[in-house]
Amino acid sequence: MKPILKWSLLGLGIALVGVGTGLSFMAGSPKDALGMVRYALPYMHFGNLKVGSVAPDATLVALDGESRFHLRDRIAGKPLVLVFGSFT
Amino acid sequence: MALYNDYKDRADFLTIYVREAHPTDEWQMKSNEKEKDNVCYAQPKTLAQRVAIANDFTQRFKYPAPFGIDPMNNAANDAYSAWPERLYIIDEQGRVAYKGGNGPFKYNPQEVRDWLAARYGQVKHLETPASPDKKS
Repeated sequence: MKPILKWSLLGLGIALVGVGTGLSFMAGSPKDALGMVRYALPYMHFGNLKVGSVAPDATLVALDGESRFHLRDRIAGKPLVLVFGSFT
Repeated sequence: MALYNDYKDRADFLTIYVREAHPTDEWQMKSNEKEKDNVCYAQPKTLAQRVAIANDFTQRFKYPAPFGIDPMNNAANDAYSAWPERLYIIDEQGRVAYKGGNGPFKYNPQEVRDWLAARYGQVKHLETPASPDKKS
């Protein structure tokens, strides 16, 4: 194998180990690091909305599972605080 | 919920339930396990499943704030880049007045409180005096 290729592969390997170690430290464990890469990173987006953007409307479902309402219908003369999240 | 209780007369609140962050069939966190917080759900595949989890949440915590569920097309989540958690304030003209960072590390309710306090003032809570020890 050519030395430059060997050194490049070695450098890449060290970089991967470094990234993996860093992610594991950040996520809490190698398993969590893998979970983060596989399930979290594809869904985390900064998004295009900025302060001043028109707030997008969305249709939401009520807790009864049947009724639907528009997010923009909740804007009624007061600021509207939106809290996005899930249970887990 | 302290934020909601402090400012619910001045601002409207809407909690929007989006796709799960740490379901059992994806990246489950140790803290969610049965022995700890007992928050063990697979990623909902149907609206009914999502509605059931949302109801479990609101009932378990007696959640007082208005609540909406993102349908399975994840339209609200996508429009607001919300996953896994994020805060926004929409002003009376329907424009984004505050956009919070992505959770968990940049999710900061104090910033929402500061925004509301700048407009409506700080909500102060009276400290209740400590009750003296009573000996029977």
